[in-house]
Amino acid sequence: MPRPMPVIDDVSLAEMYDDPYPVYARLRREAPVAWLAPANIALITRFDDMIAIERDEETFPANDPRSLQIRSMGHSLMRRDGAEHAAERAVLVKSFSPPMVKSHWSPLFREIAEELVGETAPKGQGDLFTEFAAPMAARALAQIIGIPETDWQDLLWWSQALIDATGNYADLPEPWERCARASEGIDTAIDHHAALWAKAPNPSALSAMVAADWPIERIRADIKVIIGGGLNEPRDSIGTVLLGLLSDPAQLEAVKADPALGRKAFEEAVRWVAPIGMYPRRVAKETVLSDTVLPAGTAIGLSAASACRDESHFGDSAGRFDMNRPKAQHLAFGSGPHFCLGTWMARSMVGDVAVPALLARLPDLRLDPDNSPRMGGWVFRGPLFLPARWSPK
Amino acid sequence: MTKLTVITPTGESRPMEADPSTSLMEAIRDAGIDGIVAECGGTAACATCHVFVDEAAQAALDPADEHEAGMLEFAAVEATPASRLSCQVRVSDLPEGAVVTLPETQL
Ligand code: FES
Repeated sequence: MPRPMPVIDDVSLAEMYDDPYPVYARLRREAPVAWLAPANIALITRFDDMIAIERDEETFPANDPRSLQIRSMGHSLMRRDGAEHAAERAVLVKSFSPPMVKSHWSPLFREIAEELVGETAPKGQGDLFTEFAAPMAARALAQIIGIPETDWQDLLWWSQALIDATGNYADLPEPWERCARASEGIDTAIDHHAALWAKAPNPSALSAMVAADWPIERIRADIKVIIGGGLNEPRDSIGTVLLGLLSDPAQLEAVKADPALGRKAFEEAVRWVAPIGMYPRRVAKETVLSDTVLPAGTAIGLSAASACRDESHFGDSAGRFDMNRPKAQHLAFGSGPHFCLGTWMARSMVGDVAVPALLARLPDLRLDPDNSPRMGGWVFRGPLFLPARWSPK
Repeated sequence: MTKLTVITPTGESRPMEADPSTSLMEAIRDAGIDGIVAECGGTAACATCHVFVDEAAQAALDPADEHEAGMLEFAAVEATPASRLSCQVRVSDLPEGAVVTLPETQL
């Protein structure tokens, strides 16, 4: 007999923010489909359940009128299903496709990385999160989206405001206010650049949307989704790869000796700490998962972070950063129709370009022995502070 | 139903009957044959549903479009003229008895 959904009310969101992994390990063991009371969602923590959900968009649609993401960013393609979603996504595929990444975006990533490494090298020490990871991701994203005249620092705070609102499961007022201010700035940037690309198209996402003649509401919502995921994912994964490598001399030396391994290190880093740790779905009709009844209408959260550490797929060493573990599918980019559009962009930006460029120019880069790195987040997760030292150049 | 033979990554030959209304990716997966990952669920975005089709199938199918061909360059096992993304191939377009070979790995 399937059981009713267990209610978890003895964990706090603050505890999850600090380190959700012990909670996930417990849930995978005891209650893989559980009502997480403080967040008001049913959390799905096992790999196999997640795959089953993503393959069945009729039972588990992405569209949910209660979605915090719709409230914060507008109704984007990430919250649409079926043919409508596929058609919207098809317009954007070319900008993000591997051939376009290779021919157009990678050279640009290289330029940005070289410039940043050049600025960082003389300093001798600093926080790699603010010095390198954030500007790398933000400056690249301004180009990819097609709002290049935007100050990358603006993009950074806009993205944070959108993300904080989307993850505002505690429904505090301040994140909603900040989100509204960010939205205004983004809409202005869109209007300005859309007029330019209407006359002179380019490979950016905004240009593709303008060429497809989308209504402005759709353009705004999709750009905001791309800002949210597109900034935090590469930024946090750059930090996480660096943290993983700088904590393990053997793996660090291997990547320094063969920069092509940067791609492998990136893939393992996002498995180890999935930057987009949780994303929502809705239950359209009552169904049973891992022997637990999910009533129709339930809001569910798919924990990619947990699935990526599921022992049944990654073994008992799942909690360790080990780029030499056997290759296996992970769920940091999701799966199914919503499989992350930016996957190849991130592989190139982070794995092929940014991390190898930094290691090549700062050969004795090491964690700062006097300051500890700090990680945070559960809906989105990554390093918040990554203090390091190197010989100034 | 269309009769197909799938050569698995371990070299085993598996006859199967495929539903013509599905994609080749779905048909192989539904038959319970390992060797297709299909991370993106058939949206031509992941290159983890790579297959090699035999000559009869190559002649019968429309060639891969620009996007599919571009994705194939990023498959884990190097693409050849026989390569396709199986999610972009309709079973109904395959000749009866086609032989489909799965690459050693998709990741
Ligand atoms: S299933 Fe992803 S490309 Fe075919």
